[in-house]
Amino acid sequence: MRRSDIAFWTGAALFLLAVLLASLLLRNEYPFFAGYVILQFIVLAVAWSILGGAAGYVNFGTNAFFGAGVYTAVFLTKAFGAPLLVQIAVAAAVGSLLGFAVGLLTLRMQGIFFSIATIALAIIIETTVMNWRYVGGAAGIQLQRPPVTAPFDSYVKMLFFVQALLVVVSVAITRYIQHSWIGRGLQALKDDELAAECTGVPTLRLKMLACVLSGALLAAAGAPAAMYLQYADPSSAFNLNYSVSVLAMALIGGTAHWIGPVLGAILLGSTQQVLAVTISSEVNVLVLGIMLVLFVVGAPKGLIGLFRSFSPRTGARK
Amino acid sequence: MDRRTLLGGAMAVAALGMTSASRADEPPIRIGMSMPQTGGLAAGGKASLLGIEIWRDDVNARGGLLGRKVELVVYDDKSSASETPAIYAKLLDVDKVDLLFAPYATVPTAPIMPLVKQRGMLLMGNFSFQVNSKIHHDMWFNNAPWGPADAWARGFLGLGQKAGGKTVAMLSADQEFAQNLITTARDVAKKMDLSVVFDQTYPPSTAEFSSIIRALNAAKPDIVYVASYPPDSAAILRAVNEIGVGDNVKIFGGAMVGLQFAGVMENLGSLLNGVVNYNSWLPEPSMYFDGTKAFFETYSKRAVEAKVDPLGYYLPPYGFAMGQLIEQAVTATKSLDQKTLAKYLREHVHKTIVGSIEFAEDGEWKETATLEAQFRGVKDKNLDQFRSSGKQVILFPERLKTGELITPFEAARN
Repeated sequence: MRRSDIAFWTGAALFLLAVLLASLLLRNEYPFFAGYVILQFIVLAVAWSILGGAAGYVNFGTNAFFGAGVYTAVFLTKAFGAPLLVQIAVAAAVGSLLGFAVGLLTLRMQGIFFSIATIALAIIIETTVMNWRYVGGAAGIQLQRPPVTAPFDSYVKMLFFVQALLVVVSVAITRYIQHSWIGRGLQALKDDELAAECTGVPTLRLKMLACVLSGALLAAAGAPAAMYLQYADPSSAFNLNYSVSVLAMALIGGTAHWIGPVLGAILLGSTQQVLAVTISSEVNVLVLGIMLVLFVVGAPKGLIGLFRSFSPRTGARK
Repeated sequence: MDRRTLLGGAMAVAALGMTSASRADEPPIRIGMSMPQTGGLAAGGKASLLGIEIWRDDVNARGGLLGRKVELVVYDDKSSASETPAIYAKLLDVDKVDLLFAPYATVPTAPIMPLVKQRGMLLMGNFSFQVNSKIHHDMWFNNAPWGPADAWARGFLGLGQKAGGKTVAMLSADQEFAQNLITTARDVAKKMDLSVVFDQTYPPSTAEFSSIIRALNAAKPDIVYVASYPPDSAAILRAVNEIGVGDNVKIFGGAMVGLQFAGVMENLGSLLNGVVNYNSWLPEPSMYFDGTKAFFETYSKRAVEAKVDPLGYYLPPYGFAMGQLIEQAVTATKSLDQKTLAKYLREHVHKTIVGSIEFAEDGEWKETATLEAQFRGVKDKNLDQFRSSGKQVILFPERLKTGELITPFEAARN
């Protein structure tokens, strides 16, 4: 095992331990409600960056995958009373199938056409769910949480821990991709797909793999949201805001390294949570808008690019 | 006197002293809520909040509650269900508010119901629809005139049946509120032996309704029940104006959201004539109760500064009434204990500026006060005409009625 791997897994273990201890010791539930949302955005931003960052295929359909995850959980809860981990696993499977479908789109579409197709995918799935009365249809559905599992004393704390586990899983996968032949292949096809194909890079296989992994993680992040809200309606679950926020997080953080989307999600997610309970008016939308403009103009390669411009040596490291 | 007695006496004296000293500068009673101030529900949310703020200023001018000032802790939920759980957790765990008001509308309210039930908190609802039907929270009091779930559809379809209607056409938006209403309406139509000859749901983004209206006309219904949202309500009425609905239609409307808002009403003008639609308050003689006139005088002035609906009939008086309900409960029980307040609210009839309110077991109003009113004599581009009575004649419920239905719809349009 390399030194960087040891450092990563130690950091991940410490992070999970800190989350677990906080869940067991803190009584105030607000940090868990707010923290859950930030962790959820970390998973979404990291998952998005597998396809959007590494492969350069900009997916505007994050909300389609997220919503599919939410409604998979709703269906499993209503039909079988399935436990949370089963909901997440099945949501990941559904997300990977959707990802496979999106991967097929890349056979014929690139650039803006691919992005538009992903928006269409979101609309198709949302319309389907809207007309699926079993899961509440357009009217929405209220859900009852099952009893909380030990050692947690509240369901939200348990969801917070589960989402932290998903963060570690998604970051580990993204980090592996970045450091392996997959990441190098995706980088090659991002720069020039035809040239990559000609030099023996299996572009189709790589794109399919990126789509499937990204889709699985995006949907898995959505599954616990059903129990977090204990309510689901298509307009909330398939809200375009998820796509826009996740895109902004990945761009603000930078997509050149797996840590970029993590930093972007922490920065933007925390800002959103803080603004929601401080400024709490139209001004918070303005502040986020200004932040985006400043990053696009001042740091087009995101926080990662900004750090690298100050410390040129970091660029050489993996 | 032993040391323990002396110490106990000293503590009691100190506690008494503290109590009397703190009367003057006791902390305010804090009422927490989220309110849509951005997003699709913002227009309603801001107007509703102004109504609550007018009550807060009014009660504070009268010395507050239990001698303490009332303070509102309000956050923007961006009209989204995903924002409210964290906001209400903060209100409870960080801000430690004394009382909770729900946000305007069903979607932002639904996710907080389990939380408030789990924490044993009283929650004053703000125009949600049947949000407690599955949660069964015994400290939920919905401040909305809906009443029993089927009362809304029963009121409108009853008017149609009384006018000789036997067949119904239903047209609804594929969105939460409209779908909840139309589902109930289908059941009510069945119970009333009305035959549903047309039942169409349209996507929320639909902007052009002429083909749908033509298909509806082909079914030759006697009653047309529409559950729509503001942009589609306007588009449907424009399509009806161009194509017409035929002399067979005795009554048209029912649940069209948007026709309660000043901007939409002013824009549509004479196209509104003949439509029978729901509302929560109207400037008709039967709707003035103790304090209603004074409220609207204050609201009209403050609405201009706050840049919200200048008429404010739909939500603001209910925002004020929500404060009145809490004020009456706190004053009568001299307590902020959630269970005590809930018991009082459940067991008494409350006089407010929107009338007398009595709550049923499920926290909804015992009797519906959802008005079905017919637009009459409306002229184009004149907002002030809606301030006078006679422009929206109340047909239902019976106790608030101010006129009779003009039928058929085509005759009422002219």
